[in-house]
Amino acid sequence: MSESNTLDSHSNVTAPTPDWLGMARSASAALNVSAADDCGELLRELLVIGLAGNPYAIAVERVREIVRVRPLTRIPRSPDWLLGVVALRGEVVEVVDLCSRLGIEAGEDNRSRRIIVLHGDGNRVTGVMVDSVSDVYRVNEDDILPSDGFDLSAVVEMCRRGNQFISILDLDRVLGFVDD
Amino acid sequence: MAVRRTKKNRAPTRAEKAKAAASKKKDLRAFVSEAEGILESLLEDLSVLQDQGSLDSPFDPDLVNRIFRSAHSLKGLAGMFEMEAMGRLAHHLEDILDGFRLGRVNADSPVIKLLDGGVALLVSILSHVEAGEGETDEDIVATNGFIQQIEEAVAASIPPPSDDLDAFDIDPTVLRALTEYEEHRLHENIRKGREIALVDSNFDMASFEDGLSDLSAAVREVGEVISTLPSQGAAPESQIRFSLLVAMDINVERLGERLEQPDTEIRLIRAAQSGKSDSSESVAGDSLGLSEEVIKQSGKTAEPRQFESLRSIGDTIRVDVRKLDELMNLVGELVIQRNAIGDIVGKLSSDPATARTGAGLGKIHFALKRKLKELQAGVLDVRMVPMRQIFERLSRVVRRLRRDLGKDVELEFSGSETELDKLIVENLVDPLVHLVRNSFDHAIETPAQRVAAGKPTAGKICIRAMQRGNHVVIEVEDDGRGMDTEAILATAREQGLIVDSEDLSRRDLLNLVFEPGFSTRDEVSSTSGRGVGMDVVRSNLSSMGGSVELSSTAGRGTTVTMRLPITLAIMQALIVSVGDERYAIPIASVLETLVVEPGDIGRSEGQELLNLRGEPLLVKRLAEELEVESASRDNRQFAVVVGVGERRLCLLVDRLLGQQDAVIKPIKGPLQDIPGIAGAAELGDQNAILVIDVSAITAEVSRRQDAA
Repeated sequence: MSESNTLDSHSNVTAPTPDWLGMARSASAALNVSAADDCGELLRELLVIGLAGNPYAIAVERVREIVRVRPLTRIPRSPDWLLGVVALRGEVVEVVDLCSRLGIEAGEDNRSRRIIVLHGDGNRVTGVMVDSVSDVYRVNEDDILPSDGFDLSAVVEMCRRGNQFISILDLDRVLGFVDD
Repeated sequence: MAVRRTKKNRAPTRAEKAKAAASKKKDLRAFVSEAEGILESLLEDLSVLQDQGSLDSPFDPDLVNRIFRSAHSLKGLAGMFEMEAMGRLAHHLEDILDGFRLGRVNADSPVIKLLDGGVALLVSILSHVEAGEGETDEDIVATNGFIQQIEEAVAASIPPPSDDLDAFDIDPTVLRALTEYEEHRLHENIRKGREIALVDSNFDMASFEDGLSDLSAAVREVGEVISTLPSQGAAPESQIRFSLLVAMDINVERLGERLEQPDTEIRLIRAAQSGKSDSSESVAGDSLGLSEEVIKQSGKTAEPRQFESLRSIGDTIRVDVRKLDELMNLVGELVIQRNAIGDIVGKLSSDPATARTGAGLGKIHFALKRKLKELQAGVLDVRMVPMRQIFERLSRVVRRLRRDLGKDVELEFSGSETELDKLIVENLVDPLVHLVRNSFDHAIETPAQRVAAGKPTAGKICIRAMQRGNHVVIEVEDDGRGMDTEAILATAREQGLIVDSEDLSRRDLLNLVFEPGFSTRDEVSSTSGRGVGMDVVRSNLSSMGGSVELSSTAGRGTTVTMRLPITLAIMQALIVSVGDERYAIPIASVLETLVVEPGDIGRSEGQELLNLRGEPLLVKRLAEELEVESASRDNRQFAVVVGVGERRLCLLVDRLLGQQDAVIKPIKGPLQDIPGIAGAAELGDQNAILVIDVSAITAEVSRRQDAA
């Protein structure tokens, strides 16, 4: 299956409703970097995380590193969803509270919390605080379904895993790298 | 044999290819940086040469030689890296310059006028090479066309008449030893009517290089060394004898008085011709070699004079600035580690059980601190470059603007030797070009308007750089129309930057042009006399820890004053605490710190003021400015008096924690611009600490102040 074919099939999925057009760009960007496996099927690799007890997923290729929670320096006069900054080997990176950014109720503060450092465009990076990180899930592209994300505009797709549904987050929307 | 052949014929592995490609890329970078260096000095020297030409003063032979050598090295360099067009072009330029320095080409020859264009073409080819395009086809076409131009110009130029040196009675053995260039210089000096002499001196074998360069330098103060020849005269054991053929503006007796080299003989070959006749015919045979005055200065044991070393020119190396950045980063990390050791020393010392270990480690820490400071200073020093580098680029910009806009504007520089960190210099180029362009475009009136206003037709832009403690102050002043505060006010209101009721001081009004969003429209720039993008100038400067202010008198001109730290790499910071958080305040903006009891703070018109040696100072609580919790407002607090430019402010903090070296890092993340925060620094304990943007806070306070 060639790359252009997959892109076409993808746009078939997203084309019907005009509301999807804005999201097609970021979704197809994620498609470009996902590789076809040996069987010729297109797989997408997702990092499954937990937020307030529910599973969510982010594209693996956006993840730079996962670090343990360390002391944060609060930034005055900043929005609530910004927890503060951490120093990471000479870099100073903002850490976003993913729950608060998504508008979902925060989970309990426990030892499984992690900071995921994500790549943005260019050399932009940002950290997000999540309640837990479970594993990398490889899912067939055909099994990814569009989602209206209930009332979360940052969820544009979801996939099924066993009897669970995982919401896939559009990180550009979550983090505001793409202007709201 | 067979083995060797297989090895040779074997296809390169992928790794080898990658390595070759990488080394080629690295080589190319080396080429570009080297060639850039040569071209930069070529441009500089050529502009000096042009100035000399326009002043009708004689050309400095050293300068002409230097230009010749630059072209020569560029040719060699281009050849080494197979830059065919650049090589050919450099070769032709070298030819012209060789003819020029040998007197075969006249200064007013059309060929000399082509030099500038040739160098400009080289610069443009180099930019293509740097961009990875290599020499493009257009480059080659342009080069061919240019070379043809040169050849035509050479064919059209008339060689200057040459004189016959035999007419002068100079020792034939000396004459035979002269190179063509030296012969030409001899001609030139005779034509100028300078006094020609032969200086013989003995030097110790062990140190003759130093002695010789001292002697040459002494001669150069009053004239020119035409040639340095090993002397035929017998020299004592373990000594070597040199003869210097010199030309000078003073007579031999005076030269004798100036030279402090022992065992020196000066023989007059040709006395100075007072008339300084231009024609060699009239002076020939006059008093050539007739008098052979010998002035002996043997046994004189004077201290060797301190001459500028001639050798230092060859002792410089060009270094890729990225290598310096790496070194600087390493030093920065060492400083952080050192701070961490300092913390441990503090902990150990405070516990009686470990106090002795603490004291021992403390000593080592202290020594380490001192050595690190030296290392830091050393690396910082290497990064320093003179402002001259920017000034040269600005001259080129102005030359181009002058041509494009047809306005007559003089550019005046001062403080070109003021040194700044290379990184800051690089970041300063764009703001400065922007300011100069603004003055040129908008501030300087047309010649007709200037005459009507009673000003000289030619506008003037002065750029001054000066060091003030840890800062460098750069001023850009023009004598243009000045800024129209009414228009600024109108625009600011229209764009919602200020509300109608605000009553701003003139200074704050002028500085509104630095607000983001101000004067983004064309019609604004034409009325205000300022172009777009002043906010970019300010944000550029803020990101370097600097500030910018503007003053202007209508009809008289505008001055933009920038203040910058000398280096960005490492900053001294005062660490303070407010509530639970610590903050760093750059020491450079801290004027003093003092303890403040609640009773020390007075109130006037709703403002809190502190009486500082008779001067009322506005008091602001850092906790309130940052909207964070303070420990308590009734207890004793500490005041940090900060100053940015003219503005001073007293910031109250809960505690002073000490002074530390810090490396400011930009904060990465979705929040692009954090008001009041310049960045973050990493301290020894691996925690990030926010660095207060003092200039932003003072600006904000003063704006609120004026609005109230």
